[in-house]
Amino acid sequence: MYRYDEHDTTLVRERIEEFRDQIERRMDGRLSEAEFKPLRLMNGVYLQLHAYMLRVAIPYGSLRAEQMRVLAHLARTYDRGYGHFTTRQNIQYNWPALTDIPAMLEALADVEMHAIQTSGNCIRNVTADPFAGAARDELEDSRPWAEIIRQWSSLHPEFTFLPRKFKIAVNGAGEDRAGIRVHDIGLQIVENARGQLGFEVWVGGGQGRTPRLARKLKDFLEPQDLLSYLTAALRVYNAHGRRDNLYKARIKILVDALGIEGFAAEVEEEWSYIRDGDLKLPAGEIARIRSFFSRPELTGPAPLPEAGPAAFRAWVDTNIRPHRVAGLSSAVISLKPIGGTPGDATAEQMDLIAELTERYGFDEVRVTPDQNLVLPHVRNEDLFPVWSALREASLATANAGLASDIVACPGLDYCNLANARSIPVAQAISQTLDAEGLAQAAGEVTIKISGCINACGHHHVAHIGVLGVDKRGEEFYQITLGGAFGEDAAIGEIVGKGLAADDVPPAIARILRAYLDFRDEDERFIDTLRRLGSDAFKEAIYADLAA
Amino acid sequence: MLTSQLDHATRTETSAQLESGGGQIVELPGESDWREARDAIAGAVQVDIRFGKFNDGRGFTLAAHLRERAGYKGHLRAVGALIPDQAQFLKRVGFDAVSPDRTDLAADWARAEARFSVVYQPAVRGPLAVPAKRIESGADLAVLNARYGEADALDILRDAVTRTWRGRIALLSSFGAEAAVSLHLLSRIAPATPVLFLDTGRLFAQTEQYQRELTQKLGLTNIRILKPQASDVAREDVDGKLWSRDSDACCAMRKVRPLDGVIGDYDALITGRKRFHGGERMKLPAVERVNGTMRVNPLARWSAEEVQAYFRRYDLPRHPLTDMGYASIGCWTCTAPAHSDDVRSGRWAGQDKSECGIHRPLPVAAE
Repeated sequence: MYRYDEHDTTLVRERIEEFRDQIERRMDGRLSEAEFKPLRLMNGVYLQLHAYMLRVAIPYGSLRAEQMRVLAHLARTYDRGYGHFTTRQNIQYNWPALTDIPAMLEALADVEMHAIQTSGNCIRNVTADPFAGAARDELEDSRPWAEIIRQWSSLHPEFTFLPRKFKIAVNGAGEDRAGIRVHDIGLQIVENARGQLGFEVWVGGGQGRTPRLARKLKDFLEPQDLLSYLTAALRVYNAHGRRDNLYKARIKILVDALGIEGFAAEVEEEWSYIRDGDLKLPAGEIARIRSFFSRPELTGPAPLPEAGPAAFRAWVDTNIRPHRVAGLSSAVISLKPIGGTPGDATAEQMDLIAELTERYGFDEVRVTPDQNLVLPHVRNEDLFPVWSALREASLATANAGLASDIVACPGLDYCNLANARSIPVAQAISQTLDAEGLAQAAGEVTIKISGCINACGHHHVAHIGVLGVDKRGEEFYQITLGGAFGEDAAIGEIVGKGLAADDVPPAIARILRAYLDFRDEDERFIDTLRRLGSDAFKEAIYADLAA
Repeated sequence: MLTSQLDHATRTETSAQLESGGGQIVELPGESDWREARDAIAGAVQVDIRFGKFNDGRGFTLAAHLRERAGYKGHLRAVGALIPDQAQFLKRVGFDAVSPDRTDLAADWARAEARFSVVYQPAVRGPLAVPAKRIESGADLAVLNARYGEADALDILRDAVTRTWRGRIALLSSFGAEAAVSLHLLSRIAPATPVLFLDTGRLFAQTEQYQRELTQKLGLTNIRILKPQASDVAREDVDGKLWSRDSDACCAMRKVRPLDGVIGDYDALITGRKRFHGGERMKLPAVERVNGTMRVNPLARWSAEEVQAYFRRYDLPRHPLTDMGYASIGCWTCTAPAHSDDVRSGRWAGQDKSECGIHRPLPVAAE
């Protein structure tokens, strides 16, 4: 994993001093609330329904054990004993006092962490494949590139007051687990005919009220040109992105307006002037950053365990992912206990995970866009002790990738933007599906819930999406079908009228039962849905509601 | 270190002075297109960019465009609803001065401008960006050499070829007396890695024959033969005796320039140089930088005995000239058998020259 040098450390410390000063100036009136708001947001501080919220960056979702311990410490000391992992691989604390935040940032800086640009109209924390450096289908580790982007985007002099937020994702594997087609810019690492690595660049993806899948901007970008090209794209966006309407300010709207060819032409024109300038990445800097990201080597690899209790074998079946090094596996730690809050972990759970990370995980743990954690490198012979320890802490739910592995935004329980609650709906769905054994039976299905059209719960790209809406003061939920997150990314379609909260879990259970009736042999849910179309499931959704 | 502070708040007075001096002051809204503004600012001594809202960042890109693309060198001032927290950003994108609507915060502006000593992005002005600082201080070499310091040659090579410089690295081989070692190591890892071979036109026939034999035996699939430009040879070495008059010029034409022609395709070159070769090589690190390209020397710490043991262990064919006492083999014109334990003593024997120049920084061209 990357380690800070004196420059990185200094910048984070200076940023804390700046934030301390900003709070002081807000308190004595030198900064107005309108001025302070974007400044605090750019340091991850939101004002929610009940209190301030601090969102801490976990760059490309990667943590060491000592960092996880500090996250536990923050949960215990400044929150109510837990933290909430998000779909963009960050962690949120929902109950800190504003004046505690500099102390929290100091604790984070001690372990090379920060909250810089986790919110605000700037370049946000970079997303990457949570299995980077471990996955068997990987072409190239995405993390060094995400780190290069993290540094370049931090306190950028030109791009700190953009029209709207700007999110970048990097994926280096065959399967897209970073969501490059739902980010403002997505970078897919590819190899050209000469065996050289580069980036396929995608632009204009995003969710919210105008969901768009990113369009391809460039087939092959040479690695040393990464930052000059991003700068060119950001310049076009900063200069021409709309600022008259908050809902039309993302880059996707600009790409719509100019057309992908028009947008690409603007970027190329700008890039041609700057590509050979100071932004060209020095080979030594690329090599330096890459050299931090090694992967464990093993002698005497053991096979995956086949014995053990049924619950352990079920966990191995659902939560283990293949590793590129023989004898290692990646283990998904589900933060989706049946009936629990998706993405929440208590301080005690985080401490335990830190211990496992250190003892069995080569000191690495990751946060996934599905709000789970992953130990990317575990020796196969250590899977049983890892599972046993996780089970003691209620962290061994065998549901990674199943319908009960639900993604949900904080919703109306915390968020002042939300129209409806998300968490209780997620809890009820997982309980309903679990009681009937449907989650296990249906296999690979994604369910994602957003409490409003801002779509933080990523409902647009779920096989089954649930969107909370407010209808004359009452919470209703629209169901969408057919969305997908990865390389076959798609935006789900709304099917029919909204449902009351209590009607959502049984409707989803009926969808899955219908799938089990309709499917051809081993066909996955999404394939059956694509084959038959969402109308085939409409009857199931509304079946028992007619009366 | 910031060299000077942004002029602050008192600018109106200066503007008036400038105006009375006949200089033109042009105000542009932050949302202006820099191309359209180009005509308007031609001949201006001062340009003001107006920020309607502090969080409308278009003025930052406009300033950068005026500086970087329009070539505007005059006084550039930010005016409007700006806040102190933007001081350093304004300066770095090219503003000289700021005139914020709120005029009672001069101390905050001054403090904010000195806030960050570290910046990651190159910009119109301000501190040197961190990536450049790291290269300047050799931080990258320090990290890589610490990593490779104790590693064995195969591990260094594997890391360099499959990870750190994957797809952007080549092995530079003379196909000389010891070359089979690094070529064999490479063939065990990635035999399709480019191997650059400088055919100077003055090589021993035995070297050319050995190159073909080794390539085939080791299964190397990507040999790139680099030759001097025929036009250079015709112009600079009319009688074919340049080597005897000016060996440096001959090496430059036959080795250095042909390599320079392709070096842009690579971020790093692997060499087979070893410390025991003596001379400049006695302090050879695992990784160094030569004219902006990295050189990886996986065999730097090997002894002559280790080289010989490797030949025996893998039963590698020898260069035919080694039996005749040649311990280091370049062009026939400038190579003799070694006349001492110094393996390179037969290279440019009798001259004060021990390297051809491909591993050394280029001499600064005379003006």
